[in-house]
Amino acid sequence: MTDAVVAVTGLSKWYGQVIGLNDVTVSIPPGITGLLGPNGAGKSTFMKLVTGQLKPSQGQVSVLGAPIWANPGAYAAIGYCPDQDAFYERMTGLEWVSALARLSGFEGDAATDVARKALETVSLTSAADKKIGAYSKGMRQRVKLAQAVAHNPQLLLLDEPLAGMDPLGRRQTIKLIKDWSRAGKSIIVSSHILHEIELMTSNILLINNGRILAEGNVHQIRDLIDEHPHKVQIKSSDPRALARRFLEYSHVISLNFDEDVVVVETNRPDAFYTELTALAAHDATGAIDEVTSPDDNLQAVFSYLVKQ
Amino acid sequence: MGKDLHRPPTFVRAAMRVFDLSLGEMLWSRRTVFMALVVGGPVVIAVALRALATFDMVSFGGSVNGRPFALSGPGVFGLMIWAFYLRFTVPVLGVFYGTALIADEVEDKTITYLFTRPIARGAVLVGKYLAYLVCTSLVVLPSVVIVYFLVVPMVGGSVGRSFPDLVTDLGLLGLGLAVYGAAFALVGAWFKRPLLTGLVFVFGWEPVVVVVPGYMKNLSVAYYLQGLVPHAMPQDGAMSLLQSILQTFQAAPSAWSCLVSLALIWALTLGGAAWVVERREYVLEQ
Repeated sequence: MTDAVVAVTGLSKWYGQVIGLNDVTVSIPPGITGLLGPNGAGKSTFMKLVTGQLKPSQGQVSVLGAPIWANPGAYAAIGYCPDQDAFYERMTGLEWVSALARLSGFEGDAATDVARKALETVSLTSAADKKIGAYSKGMRQRVKLAQAVAHNPQLLLLDEPLAGMDPLGRRQTIKLIKDWSRAGKSIIVSSHILHEIELMTSNILLINNGRILAEGNVHQIRDLIDEHPHKVQIKSSDPRALARRFLEYSHVISLNFDEDVVVVETNRPDAFYTELTALAAHDATGAIDEVTSPDDNLQAVFSYLVKQ
Repeated sequence: MGKDLHRPPTFVRAAMRVFDLSLGEMLWSRRTVFMALVVGGPVVIAVALRALATFDMVSFGGSVNGRPFALSGPGVFGLMIWAFYLRFTVPVLGVFYGTALIADEVEDKTITYLFTRPIARGAVLVGKYLAYLVCTSLVVLPSVVIVYFLVVPMVGGSVGRSFPDLVTDLGLLGLGLAVYGAAFALVGAWFKRPLLTGLVFVFGWEPVVVVVPGYMKNLSVAYYLQGLVPHAMPQDGAMSLLQSILQTFQAAPSAWSCLVSLALIWALTLGGAAWVVERREYVLEQ
């Protein structure tokens, strides 16, 4: 495909005896592409290869028509939001994003300007002068997004950008990603939660055990996943109040508590996430700090697919 | 988002921007607080010596192997520069900071943000190296100046007369920090266990090869730094005492050859470190 934003051919990566990615050939078109797979499937390895942080053991990676490994010039058009929660904790959000914008080629005040705009885009203006060390998990995710978009890249690679965000943060971030796509950016976004990917795009790459299992439309995969119970962990200031509300939902199969976390098992994740977002918006059951989902259900689907 | 036209920064600009980004983090790191405590040791000793001298509770004279000697304030200062700073603090700072220039970023997983920018990876190393130089200078040099003002006036020494020696010593320490830092930056970029390798070099290899006859001493930084010490230290009884005890400067190379050798080591190791970083793949722990 000539207009592919990312083209990989025969790409393999192994860490000693461990295979991270195995003979992957894929062309990723412009627009939003979801990279879906359980933890350890090879999503981050793929992202790191595509961002030139890792050297392919075999095969080629071309990003926006140019090889990426040892080609720093190519980074001018790429924005990367890594999955790791790593920062210069003593810097403020504005200082950090400005410093990284300067490394992308912006001079003094221009760097500060683009950093401010990026922070505004991710709704962090009021926290711009706070130290990152004092940010909540959701704010940390958003400041990572800000540094990825500040220099106005053509291609965004977002590795698990919604991990640990509260429901409202997720909704806002999903909207942002769609806005960026409408503005002409190409975006590759990874997640182990189908529901999240589905809200952004119907174009997915399904990855497991270092292989691309399927690429294309998300809806068939969704049907398979919905057959499996889906676990969601919610960290809240009042998990018991939240649990009482969940008991009213017919699709909630079980509830478990672990300190300030309630673990919900549901057989209709899409409905559950919608209702959770509404609950968070009304703030009727205390603050919801974090929503995460183990990937058991996705793993089950992958097992099913592999057996096919 | 930025609509401004922006071009990737040049190597030098990129290095300066990495320097800006890194200096604050480095200055307020736990490592720097610890090293500040380490260089506080000589200051404490200097305070103690000054107090003892003030109350005539210590004699700065005696004899070694039947040879009488009398230490002056500048002589004691020269000894402290050699023993505490050049032989211990400077190499230790070089090891702990130099080997960690890239390793810290890899361990903290912040290297991703630097390596996904349109700049040469070598510029990241050079920028962090410059931050190391400023950071360690800010840790070491004030300690030296305090020791100078405490120790030199003892036993009839003159702060004014010895001032050129202080300047020379500060320059020598700066040179030591620069060369050790570059050497250990290469070790940090190249080796899997850089800290261990660096400590073995400083406390195993260097002390041995510097006193062993032969050419192996050429493969050390300490040899060339020590070759500059006699020119920097005050030429009095203390210097000859030092020489008679250690016997290491008998075949000391000239100051110029030491400077040229140190410059070569600096250029080769820093250039080598940048070269390695450009080509090496850093795999972050998941």
